[in-house]
Amino acid sequence: MLRTTAERLAQRYAVRNPADLATIDRAQSWQAVADAGLLGLRARDGAQPFVSGVEVMLVAEALAGALTPPSFIGTILAEELLALAGVDAEIDAIAAGSARYALLLTRDLTQLADAESFNGAVGFDADAAGYALGLSRGRGGARLCRYAIAGVFSELQTPDFTRVCVGPATDKKRPEAELLGSAVTAEALDRWLALALTLTCADIVGVLRSGLRQVVEYSKTRIQYGVPVGSFQAVQHMCAEMLVKVEAASSMTRYAAWTVDALPPSESLLAARTAKAHCAGAARSVAETVMQAFGGIGQTWEHIAPLMNRRVMFDRKLFGDESHQLLCIADARLGAA
Amino acid sequence: MDYRENEQEAAFRKRVHDWLAENAPRNWQEEASDEKAAGRITRAWHRKLYEAGFIGLSWPEEYGGRNLGPTFEAILNDELGKADTPRISFHNYLGRAIFAFGTEEQKRRFLPTMLSGEVQWCQGFSEPNAGSDLASLRTFAELRGDTYVVNGQKMWTSGALNADWCLLLVRTDRDVPKHKGITCLLTSIRAPGIDVRPIRISDGAPETCEVFLDEVKIPADQRVGDPGAGWRIAMTVLSFERGPADIGMIATYDTALRKIEDLAKARGVAGQPEVRKALARAYVHGEALRLNVVEQLSQRSAGRMPGPEGSVARLLLTEAQQYINHLELEVMGADAFNGRATGTFNSYIRSRTISIFGGTSEIQKNILANQVLGMPR
Ligand SMILES: Cc1cc2nc3c(=O)[nH]c(=O)nc-3n(C[C@H](O)[C@H](O)[C@H](O)COP(=O)(O)OP(=O)(O)OC[C@H]3O[C@@H](n4cnc5c(N)ncnc54)[C@H](O)[C@@H]3O)c2cc1C
Repeated sequence: MLRTTAERLAQRYAVRNPADLATIDRAQSWQAVADAGLLGLRARDGAQPFVSGVEVMLVAEALAGALTPPSFIGTILAEELLALAGVDAEIDAIAAGSARYALLLTRDLTQLADAESFNGAVGFDADAAGYALGLSRGRGGARLCRYAIAGVFSELQTPDFTRVCVGPATDKKRPEAELLGSAVTAEALDRWLALALTLTCADIVGVLRSGLRQVVEYSKTRIQYGVPVGSFQAVQHMCAEMLVKVEAASSMTRYAAWTVDALPPSESLLAARTAKAHCAGAARSVAETVMQAFGGIGQTWEHIAPLMNRRVMFDRKLFGDESHQLLCIADARLGAA
Repeated sequence: MDYRENEQEAAFRKRVHDWLAENAPRNWQEEASDEKAAGRITRAWHRKLYEAGFIGLSWPEEYGGRNLGPTFEAILNDELGKADTPRISFHNYLGRAIFAFGTEEQKRRFLPTMLSGEVQWCQGFSEPNAGSDLASLRTFAELRGDTYVVNGQKMWTSGALNADWCLLLVRTDRDVPKHKGITCLLTSIRAPGIDVRPIRISDGAPETCEVFLDEVKIPADQRVGDPGAGWRIAMTVLSFERGPADIGMIATYDTALRKIEDLAKARGVAGQPEVRKALARAYVHGEALRLNVVEQLSQRSAGRMPGPEGSVARLLLTEAQQYINHLELEVMGADAFNGRATGTFNSYIRSRTISIFGGTSEIQKNILANQVLGMPR
């Protein structure tokens, strides 16, 4: 159900080529996502989230496949944090589409930033966001804190053109952080990170699946040597290899999504890191092969293929790349070195 | 084969090296702010090199060359790459068409200004529907009296924005098998009826162009070779284009790798075993490429034209270059994505074109399988 709704919205607000980014009505598409009830998915009914990690993952995948501009995963992850800290009023505002939060990440994009890592931090998924949500680590454990974006942050020029990132302007001093809600346990933050990794993987899977589908369609209509280029075995093998990578990515992401609400945080985090380790590799290889199979046209500014490449190459780094995950997995399995 | 340079070659290398230390332009990257500015820099540098006697080394003297062997070109490219100078245009391989197939008059008319850099050239082969299958090109030239009248569209004509002349492939006969109806014409890019529109590639640079031809008149004496001989000419040009030495990419590879090594040190990651191995592997890739090219060059010195085996070097180049662009991204880490070092990503995404232009990697493999290994089609 949710997934069908998400797919319908994704179709309506799809970015079919880079020029759409300039013309698409972001505010309207965001409101449509809110009106469809997709922004309150991780609000709590008692201690229980409204919907499971699996369903959120499916929505993220569907929206990513259309490169739909709404900054869905950043918002859901902000909402999850606010739910963990019990900041209910803000969750309602997010669900209604009236409040928007960016995630404040460390410069290396691997985790939430705190006061120490504020300089050089990156506000991820900051489209029309009023606040950036980070952590404040004190004696009583971690607390959420937010910084107003206006006047303090400015937009960063990142390679990903589909989402907005902001960073603290270097000539301004760090503003006071506004603490929110109650302390969040380390366990809860681990579970949150597992969800964050899972949704990043879902973003990758959504984009790659869509890229593969589009280039396969193209290969049926692009004629060279009197036949569709898709009839050449070289092109077929490229596409079949992409399929293998995407299917494995999808299976791993599904499992990781299931673990978020079903297994202890350490197990969920291991599953999510495992998925990300695979998805990060698949992201680069599939995004590049999509460009390759499109031929010259897939190398141009106006084409969707480089736009997809930019998005998943960013995702590769988001919450840690392959080598980061591999080291964490090794620590989890072997004990710290 | 002796890998050492002979006395004459070593002396030449020293001369180039000393001259570059004095004359290589500095900070040109910053001045090359847009395509036009980059074009001016290329042209000025080409002229300067020519005046110093470093252009056309392997070309005959009567056309403005120096009558030296192809190893001298390689030495020059090597030193240019090390000095990190602007890339000069691809005159060398386009000129081969005129040199090998043109009339004496055409050679005297076009080659000296091509070598001197006064006249810049571009390559009008591909079309919207003729990419890998180049022979299916449709731009049509009809002979009326002693003038060809050309209609059609070229695509991916790199450098056309800054070029003066274009080596054009056109169809002159639709009634014969497709490879036999193609003819090679030379035209001023400013001839009436030619409209050049930039195509931006994935990093945003207007590196290549669409060229629209509407009733363009080209005098018949600007035809190279016989009517219908265009395919052979195109294959000769492409075999030169595929040789990395001719497009000066070997030494630029080395310089690029050095820069990444320095970057790794500066960013404090050069001690990580993973990074060390990757940097070493990049060096190994580069040596595989370089030594293969050296061997091909020595065969060319012995008078052999480049053949289909050139695709070996082309694929080695593609692998090596794309590998170091990946590596640079890894070394730059998240800073390539958080808005701090956007240039790194641009070089990376641009490097994806290497497996497309001059024939895609799949086509290079087809060439090796069919023409070198003799496997059935
Ligand atoms: C940056 C850039 C610069 C260029 N500069 C020039 C230039 O200066 N002058 C010029 O004339 N051209 C130039 N080109 C054009 C280039 O040569 C073509 O883009 C290239 O030959 C591929 O053609 P295509 O784009 O039509 O792709 P297509 O031929 O449509 O290929 C699509 C896909 O099918 C595959 N494919 C096609 N046929 C086969 C086959 N038989 N077997 C297996 N796989 C196959 C291809 O490998 C590719 O993956 C340039 C291209 C680029 C991107």
